[in-house]
Amino acid sequence: MSMTASERFARYLSGKEIDRMPIIEWAPWWHLTLGRWHAEGLPAECASVDDIQGYFGLDRCLQTGVSYFTPASPTVIPGSGIGCMEDEDDWERIRPTLFPDVRTLIPKEHFDWLRATHERGDTLHFFTVEGFFWYPRVLFGIENHLYSFYDYPELYKEMCEDYSDWLVELFDYVFSQFHFDFMSFAEDMSYNSGPMIGEACFDEFLAPFYRKVIPVIHKHGIPVFIDSDGDITMAVDWYAKVGADGMFPLERQAGVDVSTYLDKQPDMAFLGHFDKMCMKFGEAAMRAEFERILPSLQRGKVIASVDHQTPPDVSIVNYKIYVSLLQEYAARVTHKGGNITPCPVFAEQERSQA
Amino acid sequence: MEAALLQEISEKLQRGKAKDVAALVTQALEQNISPETILNEGLVCGMNVIGDKFRQNEVFVPEVLVAARAMNAGLKILKPALSGAGIEPLGTAVICTVKGDMHDIGKNLVKMMIEGQGIACIDLGVDVDPQVIVDTVRDNDVQLVCLSALLTTTMYGQKEVIDALCTAGLRDKVRVMVGGAPITQEFADEIGADCYTLDAASAAREAKRLIAEMRA
Repeated sequence: MSMTASERFARYLSGKEIDRMPIIEWAPWWHLTLGRWHAEGLPAECASVDDIQGYFGLDRCLQTGVSYFTPASPTVIPGSGIGCMEDEDDWERIRPTLFPDVRTLIPKEHFDWLRATHERGDTLHFFTVEGFFWYPRVLFGIENHLYSFYDYPELYKEMCEDYSDWLVELFDYVFSQFHFDFMSFAEDMSYNSGPMIGEACFDEFLAPFYRKVIPVIHKHGIPVFIDSDGDITMAVDWYAKVGADGMFPLERQAGVDVSTYLDKQPDMAFLGHFDKMCMKFGEAAMRAEFERILPSLQRGKVIASVDHQTPPDVSIVNYKIYVSLLQEYAARVTHKGGNITPCPVFAEQERSQA
Repeated sequence: MEAALLQEISEKLQRGKAKDVAALVTQALEQNISPETILNEGLVCGMNVIGDKFRQNEVFVPEVLVAARAMNAGLKILKPALSGAGIEPLGTAVICTVKGDMHDIGKNLVKMMIEGQGIACIDLGVDVDPQVIVDTVRDNDVQLVCLSALLTTTMYGQKEVIDALCTAGLRDKVRVMVGGAPITQEFADEIGADCYTLDAASAAREAKRLIAEMRA
C-alpha cells in the first residue's frame, strides 16, 4: 500500500486503513535543544525545521502562519504577557491598524513552494492562526485578558466578531489557493490543573466564533485541530461540541490520558501525548512509553508525537532512538479491520457524497 | 443582623463585586463589628469558598481573580482598623518566579489566594535572582518562601534558591513551597522543598499551615 504523506494523514483521520501511522513532529525544536544537538553532531547546515525533520527521517510536517497585525499596529513583545489595550477607547484606536488584506499575507512564492513540496509527496502542511482565547490575550495581556470576561464582556465579543469576520475571508482565500492537510488554532487555554476558564465562559465568549469559522474551514475539506497545552480533559468536550476535529499536544505531565478521550470523544483525532520527560532516560523508558500509548494508537485516530517540544536534557543519541522507536511503533498502526469513526470533517464529506 | 452583613460581604466577594464589598465593609465598621470578625467571617470566609470551588473546578481563574480583587478592595478599607486594633497578618511570605522565567500568572494567583488567608506577601516579581530572595528573607520577618517556575528549563532555579538559603544559613528560618506546570511532588522532594501543591487554592491552605508551624 503506497501513499503520499497527505493521503496517509487524511485516511488516518478518516479511520481508514493506512500503511503506517504518520511519523511527525508538529512543533519546531527549542533553540536550547538544537544548540545541544549541534554540539553533539547535528550538521551545522541542518538549521531549518524542514532540514532537521529530513535529517532525523521524520515525515515532513511544516507550518504556515499569518498574523492580524500590520506594520501600523502597536508593538506587542511575544511571550511578554503584556498587551497593547485595556478598554473600548484603546480598541477604537487599535482596530483600524489590524486585519490586513488577506490577499497580501502569503506571497506567491510561498504558495508555489507549498505546492511543490506537496507534490513531492512526503510533506504535510498545516496552517495556523490564533484562537478566540489566544487572540484577545495577546491584545489585552495575560492578566487583563482574564479580567476582561467580567470587566469588558461586550468588548471581548466585539473583538472576536471582527476577528472572525477577517478569518472567514482569510480561510476562503488561502484555502482556495492551497489545500492544507490540517489547520490549527493556537489557544493554550489550559494549565496543569485544567482550563483557565469554565464551560459557561467558553460557551459565551469562544463557542459562537468557533461555530462561525469551523464550517468555513470544513467546507474546504480541512480538519481543524486545537493546540492547547496543559490538562485539556474538560476542554476537549467543549471543542468537540463546536465541531473541532482534534486536539494536541496532550501533555502527559499535566495528567492527560488520551485513552479516556477516545472513550468520550471517539470522533476526534489526537496528536502528541508521548511523554517528553521520559526521553532522557533512554530506550527502555521510551519503549515503555510507546507500549503505554500503543493501544490508543491502534483503536483511535491518535498520532504519537512528542507532547510538545523535546527538552534540552535529551541527547541527540536518545532523540535518534526515539525516532527509530516511533518508526517501529508506527508500522504497528495500520487500522486494518478497525472500526474507527472518521473526524467530523471527513464524516461530513462522506455524508455529502452518499 | 451582624451575621447577615458578614454573609453578604462573603457572597459579594465570591461574585467579584469589589465596590459592593468595599461599601459593605465600611457599613460593617460603622456598625461596630470588630475588624477581625469582618476579616475572618466576611472576607476570608468568601475567599475560602472560592478556593474550594476552584479546587473542585466549579469556578476558574477569572472568577478567582475578580474575587481576589474584591477581597483587596475590602482589605483596603479594613486595614487601618485592623492596625488600630493591633491585629497583625498571620505571617509573611516571599513569593516570586525564579531566575530565567518570566511567567507570572500562576505566581499572581497563588499570591492572591495566600493574601486571602490573611497572610502578608512580599512579591519579588519574575526572573528573580536567588540572592535577592536570600536578602529579602534575611531582612524581613518571613516564614515562607513560595517559588514558581513554568518551564522545564527553569525549574532547577527552585533548587538554586534552596541551595542559596542553605549557604546563607537561612534555610531553617523559612519553609519553602514550590509550584508550577513542570513541578511534581517527586521533584519537590528531590530539591529539598518543604511543600508542593497542585493548584493555587491548595497552596493557600498549605501556606497557612506552614506559617502556623513556623510560628508555633
